[in-house]
Amino acid sequence: MAILKTFFYLLVYPGLVFLIVYSLFCEWFDRKTYARLQNRRGPLHTGKAGLLQPAADLIKLFSKEDIVPEKADRIMFTALPVFGLAIILTSAMYLPIWNYSMTKTGFNSFPGDIIVLIYLLSLPTIILFLAGWHSTSFFSTIGGVRVITMFFGYEIPLLLSVLSPAILAGSWRLAEIAQFFQANPGLLSVNVIGFFIALAALQAKLERTPFDIPHAETEIVGGTFTEYTGRKLAFFRLITDIEMVVGSGLIATVFLGGFPGGIFSSFIWFIIKTLFVIFLLSVIKAAFSRLRIDQMVRFSWYILAPLGILQIFITLLVKLKF
Amino acid sequence: MSITIPIGPQHPALKEPISLKMTFDGEIIKDADIRLGYNHRGLEKLFEGKSYVQNIYVTERICGICSHSHTTCFVNGVEKLLGIEIPKRASYIRMLIGELERVHSHLLWLGVAGHEAGFESFFMYTWRDREIVMDILEESSGNRVHYAINTIGGVRRDIDETQRTRILNSLKILKERTDYYKNLGTTEPSFVARLSGIGILPREQALSLCSVGPTLRASNIDMDVRKDDPYLAYDEVPFEVSTADTCDVLGRTVVRIKELFQSYNIIEYILRNLPAGDIKAKVPRKVPAGETVSRYEAPRGENIHYIKSNGTEKPERLKVRAPTLANYPATVAMLKNGFIADIPLIFAAIDPCICCAERMVEVKDTKTGRAEIKTFDELKKYSRDFYKNHKKIKKDTVWPF
Amino acid sequence: MMEKSLISRLKEFLAEKIVESANPSKRRIFIKVLPENLPDTIQILKEKTGFTHLSTITGVDKGETFEILYHFANKIAVLTVRTEVPAGKPEIKTITKIIPGAILYERELQDMFGIKVMEIPDPRPLILPDGWPEGNYPLRKNWKYQRPEEIIPGGGK
Repeated sequence: MAILKTFFYLLVYPGLVFLIVYSLFCEWFDRKTYARLQNRRGPLHTGKAGLLQPAADLIKLFSKEDIVPEKADRIMFTALPVFGLAIILTSAMYLPIWNYSMTKTGFNSFPGDIIVLIYLLSLPTIILFLAGWHSTSFFSTIGGVRVITMFFGYEIPLLLSVLSPAILAGSWRLAEIAQFFQANPGLLSVNVIGFFIALAALQAKLERTPFDIPHAETEIVGGTFTEYTGRKLAFFRLITDIEMVVGSGLIATVFLGGFPGGIFSSFIWFIIKTLFVIFLLSVIKAAFSRLRIDQMVRFSWYILAPLGILQIFITLLVKLKF
Repeated sequence: MSITIPIGPQHPALKEPISLKMTFDGEIIKDADIRLGYNHRGLEKLFEGKSYVQNIYVTERICGICSHSHTTCFVNGVEKLLGIEIPKRASYIRMLIGELERVHSHLLWLGVAGHEAGFESFFMYTWRDREIVMDILEESSGNRVHYAINTIGGVRRDIDETQRTRILNSLKILKERTDYYKNLGTTEPSFVARLSGIGILPREQALSLCSVGPTLRASNIDMDVRKDDPYLAYDEVPFEVSTADTCDVLGRTVVRIKELFQSYNIIEYILRNLPAGDIKAKVPRKVPAGETVSRYEAPRGENIHYIKSNGTEKPERLKVRAPTLANYPATVAMLKNGFIADIPLIFAAIDPCICCAERMVEVKDTKTGRAEIKTFDELKKYSRDFYKNHKKIKKDTVWPF
Repeated sequence: MMEKSLISRLKEFLAEKIVESANPSKRRIFIKVLPENLPDTIQILKEKTGFTHLSTITGVDKGETFEILYHFANKIAVLTVRTEVPAGKPEIKTITKIIPGAILYERELQDMFGIKVMEIPDPRPLILPDGWPEGNYPLRKNWKYQRPEEIIPGGGK
């Protein structure tokens, strides 16, 4: 029975099937929100209200010709999208959704899993850099270098901001952090600054406006993805979509109190909370213009990182009072 | 390590083909080189084989956005050669279309600037409101792009009372919207951070490189053909030359927004003081031998036509210099020592119209016979009926997958 | 009437360099100079009369000679400096050293009329394609357009 449960967990919910379906739905939600904020209608024609549009795009990409540039490193060029998808699917396992027990540690919930999750979330960035680098075209190389430059900018603020709820809850286990905040919902307000830092950092991680510097189309064509076509590009799209779900899941866990309950109530909580985070991400996307790479790095080091440290100080003060 | 990257002829930042060869050191531009000719259509040769009336329509097709600028410039020159005065109402209507065109071009530019800076919402908003101007133009001239309102000796269509009130009403909305864009474009922190301080063109350099239009005016030089060399009835219309002193892309944005307000005022003045009378004077077919230089302030800057006639129906030589070509040397100077990220913005800041600069397009048919005129509502009805009758086909269609 | 005083000032500064001058309409002035005097004339115009803005350079094929017109503009008038070079030896001195913005117009002149601009800093073709045959200058009156034979790269023998 336990094995069946684990298989269900890995393959159906919140594993492979759910992640792919839900990430496509999130892409639709994001596109629709973004479009409505811009006075457009967004996807309309495929499926009801364009719900199937992301899936249709994906299927279209899968059926397109697959080209590997002559000068590119063939093995790395082909392997990187698959690695990326595997990593990001793995990372979703560490979100505390129904299949864990508070008393026992399991394969997907143990003290320190927050660090594992952040580590797994940062790997796709390296994959993107390598993909750009091994494409060997000018635009991809510049895109790859920009990915890694930005990575040094947002990763520290993200870690700092996620750290403060962990300090407050006194645990390195996501499930325990979530449970702590479910028990003391008032304490969520301590982490407001951290929440916004994490949102900004996640936006940068997902390479969306104002941080879509690595694939700024008007500057460096497609950036890292310039040489990618067909199936491999579809993989990268899927990676970005699932990364959005897992990233907002992480934020929802540590800042919004996680997803309490069993399989059904956790499902509802997961959808409500992640969609809320994705909605905020869409608003950020619509409200700003793209920054330059130097402005982005300056922004993260001069504004985000000090704010993150401030957040930790506040948390420590609150912790001392309790 | 420095690398050379070709930006163009095909590149997402460029809407038309042009080749910019850039040499980079990391993210910094060290050198830039421009190569034209990807859009060259040999129009100047074509002009010599066509009659003056035909040439109105060829000049119209030099460019899609400033089509009225080129025809007005050409027609003004020919009228000067003929030695005729056009009716006052005609010159007012020409000015009206010219200013509407400026509004449409500047709104388009604001959107493009937003797009190049990665500010897609700004792009979507300005282009939505640009539709208001496009609708006015369609209503008063019959076309959205090539208005074809000019003819030698006057204009081809009159403005009636309902059109007049409708334009005045639309202007109110446009003014309100432009005010909002003025606030947004000059205060939104991330957008301003991208625009200010890049593409610096100091005053002296702007003068020595002979740049024109908003690019020049943003370097604090109040040169505007409408003021310096008034054509049509611009000496009767009150307006100010907009300038900025920041010499950067933000300055060019501010100049364009200020010009929008000036244009709204000019349009309002024209509509309130529209003189009565004919819209067309009678003109001979043959143009006496002579030469003239005709200038026009297009949305992008000074547009100049040199017309030399030889006493026949066809011009001996017609030289066109569109504003974009004059701004290329300045662009190269502005690009140096900038960031890669600034290339599209700096290049877009001159509002490049590569078609204009290279003068192409071959006109297959210059006969503009009066086509069937349908109102927008009729068209809508037509499309609705069309799809009603075709619904069955759509239902039974088997999609290929 | 400002252009009247401008013309008299031009005559004062340029003196014997002006071959002929005309003022056909309001704010339009045409003067003619010899090709060898051209750079000096433009230098004087720029320094003494404030004609710093070169609008464009026009070439005209007049059969025996090529006419080259330099259109200048300032706030008072549009001044066109005209010069003629023989068709047999079309050569003109560059003015790019005096007015840097003239470079593209001079390159265009070279491309379209085959008028050799001496000492031009950047003589590469500007508009015509790279493989354009030598000695073909599209805007000369004796040049007729002929559709070149279409060759598809890599397609058949």
